[in-house]
Amino acid sequence: MARKRGLSKKTPHLDMNPMVDMAFLLVTFFLLATTFKLPEQADIELPYSYSEVDIPETNLLTITVDRQGLIFLSLSNHEFRRPWLNRMASIYDMEITREAEEAFSELSGFGLPLEELKPWLRLDRKEQLAHESRGIPADTLNNELSDWLIAARSVQPGLRFAIKADQVTPYRKLDRVIKTMTANRILRFNLVTEKRTGDEGI
Amino acid sequence: MKEFDEFEEFDNPIGEGRRKRTVSRESVFTDMNAMVDLAFLLLTFFMLTTTMTKPNVIELVMPVPTDEDRAEDVQPVKESRALTIVPFPNDELYIFRGLAAENVRELTYDSGELKAELEDFMAATDEPMVIIKPHPDSNYRNLVDIIDEINQSAVRRYAIDDFRETDRAILAEAGIESSALKKDVE
Repeated sequence: MARKRGLSKKTPHLDMNPMVDMAFLLVTFFLLATTFKLPEQADIELPYSYSEVDIPETNLLTITVDRQGLIFLSLSNHEFRRPWLNRMASIYDMEITREAEEAFSELSGFGLPLEELKPWLRLDRKEQLAHESRGIPADTLNNELSDWLIAARSVQPGLRFAIKADQVTPYRKLDRVIKTMTANRILRFNLVTEKRTGDEGI
Repeated sequence: MKEFDEFEEFDNPIGEGRRKRTVSRESVFTDMNAMVDLAFLLLTFFMLTTTMTKPNVIELVMPVPTDEDRAEDVQPVKESRALTIVPFPNDELYIFRGLAAENVRELTYDSGELKAELEDFMAATDEPMVIIKPHPDSNYRNLVDIIDEINQSAVRRYAIDDFRETDRAILAEAGIESSALKKDVE
């Protein structure tokens, strides 16, 4: 009995090579499959559709409309963000510092009136996200959205446009955005949706 | 490698030959527990953070807006080949052919009612035209559902237009009792 209990004092060696191989293979796969997304200011729950068209990844200006109707903009290509801001600044006769340009080109998206944008750009990432968003004005008296669109199209020809809105965004908010686009002869654009797989319900 | 050999020789003048001969033939076991832990930690992290589904898009083409000086050039859609879909707040949905109040029907979004209606309309009309007139308080999901349904049907021409006073009058005449109908349209 005593002998049996003391049978193996040595730690058993397990050949873990295949397991490690598998684990690292999977790690590599997920590492490559992941696209890191910066936290966004707007929390959007997309509607579903059966559309088969994938969202373009480049040359895209996304106009996000959240459930309150606040408007955010984000330009996919980094290299055009700086000229975009400069064009906008020249329309509004504003001085833009180098630091602000730098911060703006790093930005994934923003949703503030132009006058608030400058002080906001000086904040760090955390403070920016915590800052209360007021959205980009798009009303008839002060339509900054229109100027942002014009500026974007003039610095980046061939730019495509997408509207990304929440399921419960009231149509009147979208109507403002669509009217602003069509008024600028942007007649062809995309509505961003989530792929419907059949079990989401309508 | 060469440098290392030279160093070895210097340090151990008995000779490298002997050393090589005494190398253990047993396979060396490395303790891989730490590595496995790390690998699985990373694996778990990436598995949880990855979202596999990429959003897709519905392509939409809007008509050129009609301004005052071009208004005469615009041809109105013939009443007989128009189908109007009006999404209302609270997931109400109204649909009518032409402009007659007696054609107004209330539908729901599920069970393929809209699909059947579209097919029926397509079969009965040549050059059909579908017009979506969303109520300002209706939500975006309703609009996308309708467009998605149209895209899956054989309808090739559709447009989004404003919900106007005339449309409100048609629905009111049809005896629709909806709280959203009582509010005046801007």
